[in-house]
Amino acid sequence: MKKRRKNVTETVADTTPVTYMNPVPEGEIPMLRLTHVNYRYSAGTPFEVKALDDINLNIRRGRITGLIGHTGCGKSTLVQLFNGLNRAESGTVELDGEDIWKEPKEIGKIRFRVGLVMQYPEYQLFEETVRADIGFGPKNMKLSPEEIEERVNEAAAFVGLTPDLMDRSPFDLSGGQKRRVAIAGIMAMRPQVLVLDEPAAGLDPQGRHSIFSGIRDYGRRTGCTVIIVSHSMEDMAQYCDDVVVMAHSKVLMAGGRDSVFIRADELEGVGLDIPLVTKLTILLREGGMKIDPGLYTVDAMEDALCEAFGLPLYCDSPDGGPEKGGGRA
Amino acid sequence: MDDASTLERPVLIDVKDVSYAYPPESSDPRPVLSHVNMTVREGEYVAILGHNGSGKSTLAKLINLVIDDYTYAEGQILVNGRDVMSDDITEEEILDLRRSVGMVFQNPDNQLVATIVEEDVAFGPENLGIPQKELRQRVDDALETVGMTEYAQHEPHRLSGGQKQRVAIAGIIAMKPRCMIFDESTAMLDPMGRKEVVATMEKLNREEGITVLSITHYMDEAARADRVVVLSDGKIILDGTPDYVFDHAETMRAAGLDLPQCTAAAKYLKTRGVKLEGSLTSVESCAEAILKAWRERQRKEGACD
Amino acid sequence: MKSISLGQYYPADSVIHRMDPRVKVICAVAYIVASFLCKNFFSFMLLLVSAIILVLISRIPLRIVLGSMKALIFIMAFTAVINIFWITDPGAEPLFSWWIIKVYTKGLYHALFILVRIVAMIIGTSIFLTYTTSPIALTDAIERLLYPLSLLHVPVHTFAMMMTIALRFIPTIVDETDKIMSAQKARGADFTTGSLSDRVKALIPVIVPLFASAFRRADELATAMECRCYHGGEGRTRLRVLKLHARDFVVLAVMAAFIAGVVLINICGARNGWLYTMTIA
Repeated sequence: MKKRRKNVTETVADTTPVTYMNPVPEGEIPMLRLTHVNYRYSAGTPFEVKALDDINLNIRRGRITGLIGHTGCGKSTLVQLFNGLNRAESGTVELDGEDIWKEPKEIGKIRFRVGLVMQYPEYQLFEETVRADIGFGPKNMKLSPEEIEERVNEAAAFVGLTPDLMDRSPFDLSGGQKRRVAIAGIMAMRPQVLVLDEPAAGLDPQGRHSIFSGIRDYGRRTGCTVIIVSHSMEDMAQYCDDVVVMAHSKVLMAGGRDSVFIRADELEGVGLDIPLVTKLTILLREGGMKIDPGLYTVDAMEDALCEAFGLPLYCDSPDGGPEKGGGRA
Repeated sequence: MDDASTLERPVLIDVKDVSYAYPPESSDPRPVLSHVNMTVREGEYVAILGHNGSGKSTLAKLINLVIDDYTYAEGQILVNGRDVMSDDITEEEILDLRRSVGMVFQNPDNQLVATIVEEDVAFGPENLGIPQKELRQRVDDALETVGMTEYAQHEPHRLSGGQKQRVAIAGIIAMKPRCMIFDESTAMLDPMGRKEVVATMEKLNREEGITVLSITHYMDEAARADRVVVLSDGKIILDGTPDYVFDHAETMRAAGLDLPQCTAAAKYLKTRGVKLEGSLTSVESCAEAILKAWRERQRKEGACD
Repeated sequence: MKSISLGQYYPADSVIHRMDPRVKVICAVAYIVASFLCKNFFSFMLLLVSAIILVLISRIPLRIVLGSMKALIFIMAFTAVINIFWITDPGAEPLFSWWIIKVYTKGLYHALFILVRIVAMIIGTSIFLTYTTSPIALTDAIERLLYPLSLLHVPVHTFAMMMTIALRFIPTIVDETDKIMSAQKARGADFTTGSLSDRVKALIPVIVPLFASAFRRADELATAMECRCYHGGEGRTRLRVLKLHARDFVVLAVMAAFIAGVVLINICGARNGWLYTMTIA
């Protein structure tokens, strides 16, 4: 069993100055702000493991933030602090400028405001129908049946569940559909922050795209702040605005994706898989070609290659692809 | 496929016109496989690519006779010349089939039986009735091959995903199979675990001479195989070397599969009239080809000036 | 990160740890039998002394052994008290008498005997089995000891296989329970407040997925086992071969001597009427 420190009733605010924290534009209150957050497993025993070491981090509102790092780097522990499933040993977690543990008894409300989709969420489905399962969260919020119905339908639409599926048993659906039901279950709580731990794990490329683009559309349309934990740098590059890189229980980098991918060599240094395009940039630059460092999408790479080969750029696709114009640090 | 040495090798698995469907009364009675034909030769490293639900796992399970209901299976699967789908197959032949064609599954947790790593590795050969002395040797060798010797006495549930999967592989190697099927064995692993398992797969093929059939939807894994078979909606739509398959980007996309990013970028350059030589499957080979073409161009331009 | 200790195995280097698990199972049974054979004060004292010696040679810290008894303290006290008040000795003068309650010397002795017997039984089983033998070795030993029964078509192997799989999957399932509970908490499930029926109801979102997943695991495991040529216990060989060493025979001999000693004291006691006396008449 995880030995959590049970004797912590009040975490002490650490007032030592923060050495570094990713900046937020002046006047903006970050959606989530973590200061001096520490967390250990099996604290006080010889098996003590430091999971989070003095984390200082801003998560900006309305943006999609990718959280990346190796297994065991502390990212899963971190996301459980966001909604108060775990409590930091020291340091503060602020949601919209307020300490989430100000009223420990009200922590349940925080969980509705910060929705967490855990890894392989399809294994938490239990209701008789898809509709009832998506409605489990809203029901716990003690909403009226009409309100629940409305939210369930809205969430189902966001993840692309068709109405004919709504009255089926969630256990009869395919793996990908189950995953969507589970994600809709959190969206239906209309959280201010949506946190997803590896939402596309085990899915094929098409499944990944549709899950990620669904999440991105949801973020864009509702203005919800989204945090995605993933191993895949390529997905991060494509779908996130900001990227936070964790290594050895610390925040290694945090900021806009351009600022992160331009430091590709550092990412490789801590053993993370950089996007293949970025890797290609590094190899081509080593070979003497003059290409911008830190390219991370195929489109940007294509343009850069045309330039290097002296070919005219032309817009081959009118819609411009998913992130035309971006992808260049 | 154009590799002559591969073509000369004897056929190990021959899938002939195989179709499979779930019973008509089930919720999804569409055919899972329809008229699939493919051969796997001794010592080959074949990747089977396909989206979820393309029938790739069903194919693997058919080969190993672990499908519950054969009522709606048609065609022939010859393993070592013996049709495993025929009705007169004996219990002994089934055991022999499973010994020579081992299978590693997706979820590393659900295929380890024992509470200690080495006992789990021994499980297969124990079932085969291998005498104790040889058993010890096989277990030690198998653990060594996958690089898990120092974990022999560990408990499986404390290992990482990649390590568990390597133990599962060792459990199959200890049965001394001729062929191993990896049924999306890397799908649930993190990048580190994936690398460990892919490296092990390659090692088994190149060093131990074991035929490898890797079912996956990761392009970079398929790119390392000798041959790639692409399945879509129960049909084989492409079958050839990675370069051949990646040349059909549109067909792949229609089957829900993407080219590796580096290959896509290099191919784009090709469509713009730049001549690229050699394989474009790995990032290193792409970089090499692009750089070569670029230097060529630089030289020509230099000559013009 | 999980440190679930099944069966409280305590790793240490002692003679008992190194013993063949089959011999340990036999010893544990023999020890329990011996504790029931004890009839008089001296045999019970021998039992107590042997229990202390067992703890000492097992190198298991005393506080751990005592700790395991804590859970049973109530039962022990209860049995002792019952014995004190229940046992009557018509021929003797009560030691203490109030209203209908009469306490006799015999009752006190009985209470003491019962306590010694319970303590010895706990120490015997925990020292021979749980603390010094890993669950897997124990399963192994039981399977082999029960082997003769399989000749009578008792599915001994199947039973042992079930135990092994259970041991293998308990940590996995515990882990999973933890995860599912967190996931449901994130959806606003509350497991800690409300009436008893509320709390039982709150467990449904945990139990249903847990069962679904257990069935899925069982299914996948069965396929994987089939693929690894599992076809029951017939013709199976084993990696781990249990071998009896000299020390195992020595332990068995000591155990036999101990039981003989208990029996001898009983016989002498019966002749000399030592039942509840502390003096050898």
